[in-house]
This record gives sequence, C-alpha cells and structure tokens, in this order.
Amino acid sequence: MLVKIVERVKEFSLPGKAGLVVILVVLLVAILAPCISIHPHNISSGPPLVPPGGGHPLGTDELGVDLWAQICYGARVSLLVGFGTALLAALGGGLMGIVSGYLGGWPDKVLMRLIDIMIILPDLPVMIVLAAFFGPSLLNIILVLALFSWVFPARIVRSQILMLKERSYIKAAETYGAGVWYLMWKHFLPEVFPLVAVNMIRLSGRAIVAEAGLSFLGLGDPTSKSWGLIIHHATNFKGIYYTDFWKWWLLYPWLALIIMVISLAFISRELERMVDPRLGR
Amino acid sequence: MEYLFTIWVVVTLNFLLPRAMPGDPFLYLSAEEGQEVTGFSEEQRQYYLEYYGLDRPVAGQYLSYLSDLLRGNLGYSLYYNEPVSTIILRRLPWTTFLVIAAVLLSTVFGTILGSISAWYREKWPDKFLFFCLILLSEVPAFLLGLVLLFTFAAGLGLFPLSGAITHFANYSSWWEKLLDILHHAFLPVMALTIARLGGMYLLSRNSMTTVLEKDYLRTAWAKGLPQKRIIFRHALRNAMLPIVTRVFLSLGSLVGGAILVENVFAYPGLGHLMREAVMVHDYPLVQGIFLVVTICVLLANFLADLVYRKLDPRIGDYSGIHGG
Repeated sequence: MLVKIVERVKEFSLPGKAGLVVILVVLLVAILAPCISIHPHNISSGPPLVPPGGGHPLGTDELGVDLWAQICYGARVSLLVGFGTALLAALGGGLMGIVSGYLGGWPDKVLMRLIDIMIILPDLPVMIVLAAFFGPSLLNIILVLALFSWVFPARIVRSQILMLKERSYIKAAETYGAGVWYLMWKHFLPEVFPLVAVNMIRLSGRAIVAEAGLSFLGLGDPTSKSWGLIIHHATNFKGIYYTDFWKWWLLYPWLALIIMVISLAFISRELERMVDPRLGR
Repeated sequence: MEYLFTIWVVVTLNFLLPRAMPGDPFLYLSAEEGQEVTGFSEEQRQYYLEYYGLDRPVAGQYLSYLSDLLRGNLGYSLYYNEPVSTIILRRLPWTTFLVIAAVLLSTVFGTILGSISAWYREKWPDKFLFFCLILLSEVPAFLLGLVLLFTFAAGLGLFPLSGAITHFANYSSWWEKLLDILHHAFLPVMALTIARLGGMYLLSRNSMTTVLEKDYLRTAWAKGLPQKRIIFRHALRNAMLPIVTRVFLSLGSLVGGAILVENVFAYPGLGHLMREAVMVHDYPLVQGIFLVVTICVLLANFLADLVYRKLDPRIGDYSGIHGG
C-alpha cells in the first residue's frame, strides 16, 4: 500500500508535489502546535501590535497574543473542518449514492430531485441562516458544510454504480447468488473508493474556504481561533486601514489560507488526472 | 415545476427554522440585563402567545405565513423598526448591480481568454494563461477583495475604502453621480470578477477545443470562409452553450461570494445587511433576506433554462436541462 502511494506520488507534477509538501507541513504544524508555538495562543504574551521579529516571529495582535501561536492552532481548526466535513459528506453522500444507484426506482427519483435542489440553492445564505439560528459551534459548522457537500460524492457514486451494475462480471456474480453486501464489498467499493477519495480533497478545500468565510463574517465558532477569525478581528480593528498593522496581523493568516487552499487544489487536480485520464491536462 | 417545488421547500424551511430553534421567546424577553428579573406570569404568557398567534396550531400559523408572503409581507424588522420588505428593496439594487456586473465581465473576459487558449492550444500562451488562471480560480473572492482593498484603497488611496456612494455629496450632473457609483463599485466588482474568471476560462477553453475539432468546422475551413466568420459564427456560438448554462448554475456560489465581498468593502447591499441583521439578532430580517436571495437565484436558474432552449433549438420542448 505504502509503496504504491510513493510510486503514485512520484508521478505528480511539480505543483502537485509542492502542494503535497505544504499539506504535510500544515499537518505537522497542527499536530505539533503546542510544541512549536513558543507563546500561548489564547492569552496575551507581550505588548499589543508588535511587528514581527524579536520574541514574536509573526508579531502580536491587538491584545498582545502571539500570531504564530494563533496560526499554528488555527491550522488545527482548518484541518478539522476540512477533513471532518469531507469525511462526513463522503460517508453520507456515498451511502445515498449507493442506495439510489443500486435500488433505482422511487428512492433514486427522490434523491435526484433532492440533489437538483441542493445544487441550485445558494449555500452561503443558508449557512448564515443556520449559523444564526443554531449558534456557531465548530460541530454545527461541520454539519452545515457537510449538508451542502454530500451531493458531489452522491452523484459520483450513483453514476459509477449505475455503470457498474450493467457490467457482465457483476451480472455474472449476481447469477452466482452474490448478495448486496458481497457485491458492495467486493466489487462496488474498490471501484468507487478512489473517485470518492479524490473528491474528498476537493470538498475539504471548499469546506476550509467556507469556514473561513463564515468566520470572517463573525459567524464562526468564537472559541476556536481559526484563520478566518483572525482576519475577522483584524479587519474589524478600527485603525487597520491607516496603520501598518495589516502587514502582519492580516497578511499571515491570509497567506496561510491561500497557500493551504491552493495546495489542496493542486493535489486534487493531480489525483483527478490520475483517476480519470479523460480529463486531459 | 421543479422550481416551484424548490421555492416551496425554501419557504417551508424558512417557516420551520425559528420554530425548531432551541429556547423560548419569553425566556429572552423576560431576562433583560440590569433589571430585576421579571418573569412572565401565566396570564401574560397567554396574552403574548395569543398576540403573536403562537397559540394556534402550527398548520394555521403556516397558512397565515404563506398568505402574508403572497402579499409581499415579510414581517417587521425588530432592529430597524421598518417593514422587512422596504429595507430589502432599498438594498437589493446594490447587490444586483455587483452580481450582474461581475457575471458580465467575468463571462466576457473568461470567454475571450479561453478562446485564445484553445486557439493556441499547447503553445506558450495557452500554458501561461492556464497556469495563471488555475491559480486564480482557487482563490476565494473575499480574500481577493482584501488584497484589492489594502493595496488600491488603503495603500494607494485610488479608491474609497467603503460604501457605494459618497455621503452628502452634491452632484452637478447625473453622470458625475454615476462616476462616483462606478468608482465605489470598481474594487468589489473586480474581486468578484477575478475570482470567477478562472472557472469561466476553463469552461470556455474546453468547450472551444471540442468545437474546434468538430467536422463542421473543418468544412467551414474547407469552404474558405473568412477566419472571423469561422470563429464567431461557427465556433463561438456552439461553444457558448455550456458557458451560458454555467453562468446561471454558478450564480448561487457567486451570490455567496458577493455576500462576503460586500462585507469586505462595507458595500451596502444585502450581504452586508444580512451580517448586520445576524449580529443584532434581527431574525425576521435575516429570514427575509434569505428568502429573497434564494428566490432570486432560483428565478435566474429558471431563466437559464429558457435562454438555453432559445440558444439551442435542438433541445426543443424538453422539460429542463437538469432533469434526468
């Protein structure tokens, strides 16, 4: 398994490799956050609004909280939201896709209608309304994001199952008396899994952006300091436009977000190309 | 049909949400800060339940909610002390303006760049454009907006920091006012346009490449038609089809982007209003905006169906492009 992954990675183009390295670094930073952040991330550890350098590698915010520490811990939030949402969406969507693809008939019709609705519905307004009504906790945000993400894995799985169902080897297995679960394990999952896994990376990128957007509006979880929330605090600071504070307070969380999102996008492009050679470049 | 059904789902969701919310309106009303706690007596509770119509069965509440909606009554804003519909109507034009400007600009430029790329496929202009625009397409609009705001407005002082129009300004003529509005809208529209450009570019590049390989194009070349005519009449018109549907289908995410971008630039549209309303817990207003925004997006999608059928006579009377 591991050897196979390494072999695959070697085929990556340069942006893909760079993206992978960045994500691994972010992962490390998130795991090691307590060790590598010199200062606490939630209480002040120096004078407010110190520029980068000296004891604070990336400076401090208006309460004197170290920014590097905040960014390290923010990586945890971003990764949690991203992969949590993707996992939930893939599980839920995958299940729905299997049911509707395999059973067909009215469950399939209902699901397709539902997917049509979810696709046209603008997601951010709904998220804002739900966040406003049910309170902004990290779990709620993940749930809401998953609610808007499951349609993609569901569509992929459904179309794959519809296609596989007609294959002769599946038909053959069925005539030998293969049950639904056997078919699922032995034939459907191995075929469908790579596609869903690739889609999950794209979904986590979307989720991270959406969480950052919600936090930027001040609707994120106020107790978990994500990168979006740092940007929210920075942009809501009265003098931010007339001083140089943005050069660290706003710039670093912004850079962290951009680099993360672009790396995820590069990886998913790379993987999509491998799984589906028809996509071209 | 499908759209009506979706609208019904949205309306019902809107009705059910506050009723599914944990808590009781009287708990909030009765615990004001700085006052001795004045709990509601049973009679008072009963009076208010009756006053707000909360004692009636849910089905009855639902019916009166629907009839109110049909008459354009979205409720009364608690914070602004005005009917929700009046406030929304005042703010709606700004958002519509931003969104339409961004749609037009990104579609036009995206199509042009995509066509250039398809024309020079695998040569350096294609590779260069492809890399740049793929990179751009991944950057969310509000993060782009922040960059634009801090470089062009705060740093260079070329554009105003916030708002849609200069307050208390006296304009000597209408075009001066128009100029002022455009000046304010420039950066938000830019942010939205650039964020969308990548997607439009990719789509038109792919679409154009497929069309360019078609047999009827080879025929057109063979007939010796002028290059301009081939590109615009034969290739672009067919390549436009997926682009047009995509324009409308992605409107939902564009509106989401507009909400965030408005907040970056403090642009007085619905997105900015929505955030303010959430912050002051003005639930009727939040719901009203939500309803208006979603219904607008749904209407746009409906229009897309119609336009698509006009553009592509092959579709005929088929009931919809999403079906099946």
